[in-house]
Amino acid sequence: MTVNKLEIIKQELKKTSALGLSMRLKLFLFLMVLVVVMVLGVIVVFLLTGTFTAGLGMNEKLFSDNLNHAFRSISKQYGQLSAQAVEFAGDLSISMENTLREKGRTVTDLQDHPEILEDLLTGEYQRALFSLQRAKSSGVFIILDATVNPKLENAADSRAGLFIKNMEPNILSASSPTILLLRGFPGIGRKNHISMHAQWSMEFDTSSAPYYRIPMLEATRQKLSLSRLYYWNPAATLPGTSEEVMLCSVSLLDSKGNVFGICGFEVSAMLFKLAHMPDSSTYTRLFCMLAPVSGNGLDTSGAMFSGGYSARSIFLQEQPLTIEKHRRFFFRYTEEGGNTYLGFHLPVEMYPRDSAFYDQKWAVALMAPAEDIKNSLAGFNFRLAVLFAVLMGLGIVISVFLSRLYIKPIIEGLDKIKSEVLDDASKTKIPEIDELIEFLSARLHEKSSRESQEKDLSSTMLNDFIKNLPTLSPAERAVFNLYVRQHTAKEIAGILCLSINTIKTHTKRIYSKLNVSSRAELLLLINMLKEAGREFK
Amino acid sequence: MKTRIIIFGFGISLFLFAGLLTGCQGDNVLDPKKPVVITIWHNYGGPMKYTMDELIDEFNETVGAEKGIILSITSISGSATLHEKLVMAANRDPGAPEFPDITTAYPKTAIILAQKDLLGDIGEQFTDEELSAYVPQFLAEGRLFDEELYIFPTAKSTEVLFVNKTVFDRFAYDTNIGYEDLQTFEGIAKTAAEYYEWTSRQTGGPANMGSMFFMADSLFNLTMIAYRQLGEDFLKDNRLNLSSPVFSRIWEFFYEPAVRGHLAVFDGYAADLMKTGDIICALGSTAGVLFYPSTVTSVSNITEQVEYAVLPCPVFEGGKKVALQRGCGMCVIKSTKEKEYAAGIFLKWFTEPEQNLRFISSTGYLPVTKEAFGEIMVKEMGNVSDPSIQKLLGTAIEMHQEYDFFLPPVFDEFDDLQKQYEKELKAVALESRKEYGELLEHMDADTAFEQVKEKRGLFLGTGD
Repeated sequence: MTVNKLEIIKQELKKTSALGLSMRLKLFLFLMVLVVVMVLGVIVVFLLTGTFTAGLGMNEKLFSDNLNHAFRSISKQYGQLSAQAVEFAGDLSISMENTLREKGRTVTDLQDHPEILEDLLTGEYQRALFSLQRAKSSGVFIILDATVNPKLENAADSRAGLFIKNMEPNILSASSPTILLLRGFPGIGRKNHISMHAQWSMEFDTSSAPYYRIPMLEATRQKLSLSRLYYWNPAATLPGTSEEVMLCSVSLLDSKGNVFGICGFEVSAMLFKLAHMPDSSTYTRLFCMLAPVSGNGLDTSGAMFSGGYSARSIFLQEQPLTIEKHRRFFFRYTEEGGNTYLGFHLPVEMYPRDSAFYDQKWAVALMAPAEDIKNSLAGFNFRLAVLFAVLMGLGIVISVFLSRLYIKPIIEGLDKIKSEVLDDASKTKIPEIDELIEFLSARLHEKSSRESQEKDLSSTMLNDFIKNLPTLSPAERAVFNLYVRQHTAKEIAGILCLSINTIKTHTKRIYSKLNVSSRAELLLLINMLKEAGREFK
Repeated sequence: MKTRIIIFGFGISLFLFAGLLTGCQGDNVLDPKKPVVITIWHNYGGPMKYTMDELIDEFNETVGAEKGIILSITSISGSATLHEKLVMAANRDPGAPEFPDITTAYPKTAIILAQKDLLGDIGEQFTDEELSAYVPQFLAEGRLFDEELYIFPTAKSTEVLFVNKTVFDRFAYDTNIGYEDLQTFEGIAKTAAEYYEWTSRQTGGPANMGSMFFMADSLFNLTMIAYRQLGEDFLKDNRLNLSSPVFSRIWEFFYEPAVRGHLAVFDGYAADLMKTGDIICALGSTAGVLFYPSTVTSVSNITEQVEYAVLPCPVFEGGKKVALQRGCGMCVIKSTKEKEYAAGIFLKWFTEPEQNLRFISSTGYLPVTKEAFGEIMVKEMGNVSDPSIQKLLGTAIEMHQEYDFFLPPVFDEFDDLQKQYEKELKAVALESRKEYGELLEHMDADTAFEQVKEKRGLFLGTGD
């Protein structure tokens, strides 16, 4: 069956190559060539201008813009808080030392005279509150290296102090209680009309509190200025609380260099989230992160997050994220046994060069789950492909339509010509064809007028011939009749028994009288007469 | 001609098809490939934050991922602060925050927003059948004006009596006082006097240095409930009805114990005083249960592990069992159709008995569906890990069956009236207490009190 079909196709092709393609088909093919060239041209332009990789390029710009923005806002917030913590520590140290001196005490007496703790801390409440509000932080804390009841069992890990939380640092003037007492003497709260936090306890549990031990240790070991001794503790949840926070601690030192406690500010997970929200209109799961750098990765267990999506829940096992370069554009961040993210990161300086903690490296990263980026790229390119398909389809349709539209009048015109009805009424409105029709029409007229002219001419000639016939002498007439019978001159000489020269002479006279110039012409006229049915005698 | 039409038709359908592919996708309103982000403010902070976080994460990972909704918490604050923020935003004050898509709110906040036409009608997202699953009074509270449901019930509460059982048991053991004495307000006053004497004897100090026993978080609420229990209305025509004889009963209950130091007069929450052992009995919202920690800390930082008893709201002698219906719900701020629809989906899921029970078993709020309030709660109660909450839920079931619930009216001046009333009451009490304290140096307690009382006269009229 197929063999037959092939044969048929072969025949058709042969026929076509013999005959040539129809105008319509040719035009259609030419138009298609045009369409294909245009589409290819667009593709080339896209390739050259990098529109195909624009998907990726757009991503890169979006990410780097967001990252720079997050980097700037995080650097600013942390820088300002660090500076303010240092200032707070300096002022507090002086103030406390003075207060103690007025009571005849020094900072080294705190452990042995716990009765002075409450008054001391009460006296610093206003300063702490003011600093808190000025710093727009979510909490301010003071921890003294002493406890109110040294006889208790866990006294060694219980430190007296003050922790004031501001639940809404961004509200300018709040008449509602956004200030809560998280740690400290209840009397301080009651005196200043602030409520206790639901998770209040009187003192700090410092059993595992790097934010307390580390800065105090460094301050004892190294003689540096306070601005080189502040410490940012990676994100952690304080015992008995429910929110992850980062604390900036600065040691409290008296004029003799004795370290007697710490103080500082808090950045809560909510404050961080609201302050550094990236633009997630393109990628809903885009988030930024401030994380400690450990080896070749980012430590998510100590990081702070900001993003519309609850990034906290993404990092299931709190594994470190390993960083690797991914193709031309992104970095890839992989969680062992977990998810992959694509994005960028920048190292951020949390400490000055000669700080005791300069070796603690941090980075600001901006990333989204890898599948989100791949999906959006695929989506983008898919849409481009569909667009091209649509263009091609459209091209085909329009080509077919146009070729039909163009050819139809031509065919009509040709038909018209074939019909030979070539009067003025049948104009096709196609200049070239109308011209042809005009030309053919003229030629036809010419021909028929020439024909009729010829006819006229021959009519005239015939009439003259018949008129002149009687002028022939009998001898000439005899020769003439024999010529009519198709005899040659020689034969006529024989028949009439005359000499050839006599015949020739007669012939010459006949020609002259009948106004012909050759025997052929003579015979022609005779034929014409015969055909015209004219008698001659 | 026919072929022309066919070609044209084909071309157009190609265009439409392409448009469909590149343009819209997904079902109806939401698209899982392009999730819509819903911001939410709530007041379930502190120890409740963990539960809320868990629930919201679970929503995002299940229903949210399926339908294309991402819920993002952008504020956790006390209800008073949320009220302030929302009012600021509604008034477009300078520095006002941007509205969230969903927020918890009390009726007083919701009314302000609804009047400015800022709230969406949540009823539109539910079918009648779905709505019938909810406790009708809770829905009624959310319909501020007519049919529109502006506050969706998510976390209801009532007022109950929290008692530091550990200390009370010691006290009860030494005296004739028992838990049944805490069933009436008059009984509480009597108990408070006894407790004062007992604590005074315990410390071995002077006779008039006992401890306070009781405090009500809101004197205004107490007064409103008392009136209802005794068959009257405290608020008439949006003004305080102080001429009623009921008021003298309340005054009697409050004034003497307050002056004598049996009852705390304090500007903050009763839970703060419970935390430090300054009182051992408080009348407060069930929503505050987590603010009564299992550790009570004394001034010298000595801590004691304590257990609580949660008892039904006390009643004035001869009165009916009436308690307050409180609690906030969630409001949906008007925005786009997609966001309102998504918010509806979240609210539906959040208040489904399974999630609702998880929420209440770690927060102390009350269930909002009839199903959850009924059999399920009785079954699930055993699984509640926090003992205080377990007891609270038991009391709530009991009250649900035996008490009538009173919905406080909502009107513009309500807040001011409340503040003014409590301020004046406390001011008078504290002043008298000071005088009493001074007189105590010269005479015995009873005489001192009579003198102060006479001087003061009956407290009359306030807050007009």
